[in-house]
Amino acid sequence: MAEWNTYYRNEDEEEDQEEEEQSGGEYKATGRDSLVFLVDASKEMFIKGEDGESSNFDMTMQVVRSVYTSKIISSYRDLVALVFYGTKESKNPRNSFKHVYVYHDLDEPGAKRVQEVDALRGDKGAQLAAKTLGSGETSLGDALWDEPHEGDGVKDRQARTKAGDLKETGVVIDLMHLMKPGGFDVSAFFCDIISPPEDEEELGVQMEPCGKLDDLRKRVRAKELKKRAMARLSLSLGEGVNVAVGLYATAVSARKQAPIRLYRETNEAVRSKTRTFHTETGSLLLPSDIKKAQVYGKKQIVMERDEVDSIKKFDDPGLVLIGFKPMEKLKLDHHIRPSVFLYPEEEEVKGSACLFTALLKKCSERNVFALCRCISRRNYPPRFVALVPQKEEVDEANVQISPAGFNVIYLPFADDFRTLDPPRCPYASQVQVDKMKEIISKLRFKYRSDAFENPVIQKHYRNLEALALDMVAPEEIEDLIMPKVEQIDQRLGPLVQEFKDLVYPADYNPETKPAAKRKTAGAGGGASEKKPKVELTEDELRVHVQNGTLGKLTVPVLKDACKQFGVRTTGTKKQELMDALTSRLGS
Amino acid sequence: MAGAKSALVLCMDVGFSMSNSSPGEESPFDLSKKVIQKFVQRQVFAETKDEVALVLFGTDATKNPLEQDEQYQNIVVHRHLMVPDFELLEEIEHQIHPEGQQADWLDALVVCMDLLQKETQGKKCDRLNIVLLTDLCTPASPDKLEVIVENLKQAEITLQFFLPFPVEDDEEGEEDGEHGDPGHPGAGKGLSREQQSGLEMVKHIMLSLDEEDGLNEVYTFRNAIEQLRMFKRIERRPMAWPCQLTIGSSLSIRIVGYKAVTEERLKKMWITVDAQTNNKEDVKRETVYCLDDDNETEVQKEDIIQGFRYGSDIVPFSKVDQEQMKYKHDGKSFAVLGFTKQHLVFRHQFMGSQVVKIFPPKDDEHAGVALSALIRGLDELKMVAIVRYAYDRRSNPQVGAAFPCIKQNYECLIYVQLPFMEDLRPFAFPSLENNKKILSFRYDWETQLSAVDSLIDSMMLVEKDESGDLIDLLKPHHIPNPAFQRHFQCLHHRAVNPGTPLPPLEPWLQAVLDRPEVIKERCQASLEEIKRKFPLTEVEKKKKLKTSAQIFGKDSDEANADKGKEDEAEEEYNLADIAEGSVTSVGSVDPARDFRLLLKQKSLPFGEVCQQLTHRIEQLLSNKNTQYYMKSITCIQAFREQSVKMANTDLYNSYLQSLKRSIPSRGLEVFWDLLVQDGVTLISSEEVSGSLISKNEANEFLKAEEIKEEAAAPPAEDTGDVDDLLDMM
Repeated sequence: MAEWNTYYRNEDEEEDQEEEEQSGGEYKATGRDSLVFLVDASKEMFIKGEDGESSNFDMTMQVVRSVYTSKIISSYRDLVALVFYGTKESKNPRNSFKHVYVYHDLDEPGAKRVQEVDALRGDKGAQLAAKTLGSGETSLGDALWDEPHEGDGVKDRQARTKAGDLKETGVVIDLMHLMKPGGFDVSAFFCDIISPPEDEEELGVQMEPCGKLDDLRKRVRAKELKKRAMARLSLSLGEGVNVAVGLYATAVSARKQAPIRLYRETNEAVRSKTRTFHTETGSLLLPSDIKKAQVYGKKQIVMERDEVDSIKKFDDPGLVLIGFKPMEKLKLDHHIRPSVFLYPEEEEVKGSACLFTALLKKCSERNVFALCRCISRRNYPPRFVALVPQKEEVDEANVQISPAGFNVIYLPFADDFRTLDPPRCPYASQVQVDKMKEIISKLRFKYRSDAFENPVIQKHYRNLEALALDMVAPEEIEDLIMPKVEQIDQRLGPLVQEFKDLVYPADYNPETKPAAKRKTAGAGGGASEKKPKVELTEDELRVHVQNGTLGKLTVPVLKDACKQFGVRTTGTKKQELMDALTSRLGS
Repeated sequence: MAGAKSALVLCMDVGFSMSNSSPGEESPFDLSKKVIQKFVQRQVFAETKDEVALVLFGTDATKNPLEQDEQYQNIVVHRHLMVPDFELLEEIEHQIHPEGQQADWLDALVVCMDLLQKETQGKKCDRLNIVLLTDLCTPASPDKLEVIVENLKQAEITLQFFLPFPVEDDEEGEEDGEHGDPGHPGAGKGLSREQQSGLEMVKHIMLSLDEEDGLNEVYTFRNAIEQLRMFKRIERRPMAWPCQLTIGSSLSIRIVGYKAVTEERLKKMWITVDAQTNNKEDVKRETVYCLDDDNETEVQKEDIIQGFRYGSDIVPFSKVDQEQMKYKHDGKSFAVLGFTKQHLVFRHQFMGSQVVKIFPPKDDEHAGVALSALIRGLDELKMVAIVRYAYDRRSNPQVGAAFPCIKQNYECLIYVQLPFMEDLRPFAFPSLENNKKILSFRYDWETQLSAVDSLIDSMMLVEKDESGDLIDLLKPHHIPNPAFQRHFQCLHHRAVNPGTPLPPLEPWLQAVLDRPEVIKERCQASLEEIKRKFPLTEVEKKKKLKTSAQIFGKDSDEANADKGKEDEAEEEYNLADIAEGSVTSVGSVDPARDFRLLLKQKSLPFGEVCQQLTHRIEQLLSNKNTQYYMKSITCIQAFREQSVKMANTDLYNSYLQSLKRSIPSRGLEVFWDLLVQDGVTLISSEEVSGSLISKNEANEFLKAEEIKEEAAAPPAEDTGDVDDLLDMM
């Protein structure tokens, strides 16, 4: 997706209609977002840039593809649609609108759709587009009014009123356009139909179409993620002063999705049912037939299930202000989990945002944080948290970089610290430090938190993509967290040797273990002489295989045995090793 | 170091003087028994391998290996050296009483030393300790004193004394600013001659063992109880992670990493036991797999392969293929990618659940110097290293920041994980400045702000005391995790007092989690000011009220009130009807409304509309979430209401019956409880004459026992009914 940086000075029009879930209402129940790409497919869109730059259409298709694939990764349950307007051909539910071509109905994105968008990319794609869509009259009105709203989470109602009605049903129209300097300023034209800020939610996002339009990908990306509070709590400043706040997770470790169990014969998804039953009678046990227990000092201590829950309950969920501390009291190493973001919930308690803002402003000015006791959910034990003020920041293009609110830093308890015994070592001299500073300065760069993709996840999805799209081989990934060793060496040049000469004696090699640690080397003693190897004879092994007692051997012994008999294995799990040995020696 | 443990002898005076106390005060005996109890409790719950013995002296009986010819009399080895358990706790509770004799505490000490030496033979013990609790009222013969001290030194046995009074008047209480302990009974003064000479001997022994800090190991009972009230902090030995920090291909520094801070969890999980027998063997859990078809055909585990979702597709992807194709790397690594300014790494973007501290290896001073150069260099430049960190070959690599950390006694790097691009959710939030919604509340912004200012002033937790030193009134990292404290408190209670309800939270724990008293008082005025300057009004939750208040109440008043509401609702629907165009099917946004509308339109047969609705209900219920449950209930209420209206009860009644049967197998008990609360039952013949259900049956329907009986029936049949019903419609 890196190529996007090069595109941001193109002229392009694109609207993006988004159904946002209204917080707290019935919409929440569906938990899905819908996203319709409405793309101008008129002739102008296919004109290439002067320096061989891709056409606006091509570029738009790349955005669509990247949103499709990232939706697949982040929230496949969301619905997406792709609609072209300004086409010669028409294709929509009743074909009642001319020059509107519904390429993809509102549905979950999948492999086929990614392929279909791929087909529209590049020169070939342009040809295909010309053939299937054609370029005709531009009638934005028709395109906009025909909402192919079907399926879950979307109301299938043909609202033919003005854009205001759309907004009432929770549709948010967002204009994504790019403008060349001196080009036609489309924002003036669109300003009537684009959702005014106030309507988006109670407080209104200040996402006015920015005059200087830049990084399209970033804006689309920021839009595609749904913003939902993980909890709505009250922040109590004292008796009777309760501010309503929402907790938002702004950084969550993305994990590889969990696998789905499939039936081997049909590739159908399989459901799992877990049942608890009585070992002897076989009858199902209800929650009331079960208790919980722990064993300490040979004694079994039994509790009711609700007692186990009640132990964890200290209070109802909420944040309680304890006091304030200067920022420097927040220690770097007091970190136990990713922070969350705190923002007022005006809909729950009117006046919250005002008090919240005043508190934020003053904490920020005085460089203090608020220490609070926090119970984030029902029956969760309390934790102390630091509310660290964060001011709103926007970039040149008026896009929000960081919102105003408090970052909630979870603080450790005494139990969370481990006692370390730091070694006493001589410190470096100023000459040595200065040499290292030269090295540091040579390798300076500007860190950005979104600069590193997770190679494990990327690789996983490329693999899936390759399987889903029948590709010959998965697309290569660039491992961005691999050090660029050659470049580093080149930049540092002789500095490395100079530093080593300053800190290491001539015969010192950090790659090997120090001599002191090696015990008095016995005859022929080397690194390999760790443990006495338990080697099995072939006969012994055969006996194990025949008696089915391979499992009694340890994994290292099994591995050695595999090596010894040249048995290739599929993995290093015990079962795999045993299977391999059995198939080799069992016959 | 595995297997290293300590051995400890609790040596308690139970002689007659121990029960003496001034009126209204606890006797030394009671206090020292408490100390022992608390101590053993902590040991039991910390599940240490440390072994404990208990020796009593001043007992009527004599039972110890040294007893001979009138020597070592009135001393009993109550329990030999072993891991403490609840039995010991119960013995302390029930078997230790004040007794009527007296014994020489030095004799008792010798018995303890003998016990330690004999019973630790062949065991790996890294610490031998004797804890002596006495009031020093018995005369002790000092002639053996020097021999005892010599032996203690030789055997490396450490000693702790617990006395009813402090060893020196001024020594105690002042120790690191600890708030003074009010009222040690008989502090220093009023000691008997025996006690005074005993105290001299205690001092002599302790100072001979440790010239400087020896007296720190003499405690008062009260102090000890206070310190022991907390359950032991969970301690874990950090694991060393040796690696090399690399910068490019040819510069590497040997390092060792240790997990320094991480969210500690309780080691033990709850096990499930049968409620009748309290036996875990009586409970079995089984997971079966089945196809998502009408019959819920069961599938054998061997016939299951794994797949992954790619958008709307599911791609079969075997474990073997996955293993082969997955991202692989070279294992352990701590490689510098580059250096950046510290302020570019945001505190709120720290990821993961731990902080790793990086040191040089203990025996490698060259590595120490090289690492020190890096740490100091980074510190002087206010920079950090951005590194690739991989724990080992099997774990996923991370990107993170290594911050320089320079302390008085050591230097290290502090490593914290940073986010990947995929982890970030760059949400946009409405601006708070100049926001119209807020501006209306800012009627007097400047005084409003100064109210907040004085609130902060009055609630500052860090302040200077008279001598100009900074005092921090609340340090969370000095507080033991309250969840663990409470957990152990309850376990202990249940173990010792079975059959009684759990105790309330201990007051000290409650207090430690709350605002310090000083702050509470100081902020009163400024809080009142905040209240005046910032009006806060809670918004009524209309939606919620609607759901539960809807449809029927049993008594007529409510029913009437509800009727009014219903009429209103219908009005609304009519308007919606006009505005929104026609509804063609029961959607998932507001299925109940769609359902009512469709029936109103009469464009589809009743059965079909009902089927659409039940289909939605089933969908909602598969989500197992209260939100969805509420919505399902709204649907069922609508179903009931319309069925009554149409005088067609069969579909509704049979659906509700089959739903009930499927509750246990689908784990929908919570949902059922909600339904019961709302009183949504079958439609009886009293309401609609055609109904086959009697009023009694309808009333009985919601009673809980029935579910239990039903639960015994094979669940496959139950769920089958739901599908049958859907087919039937």
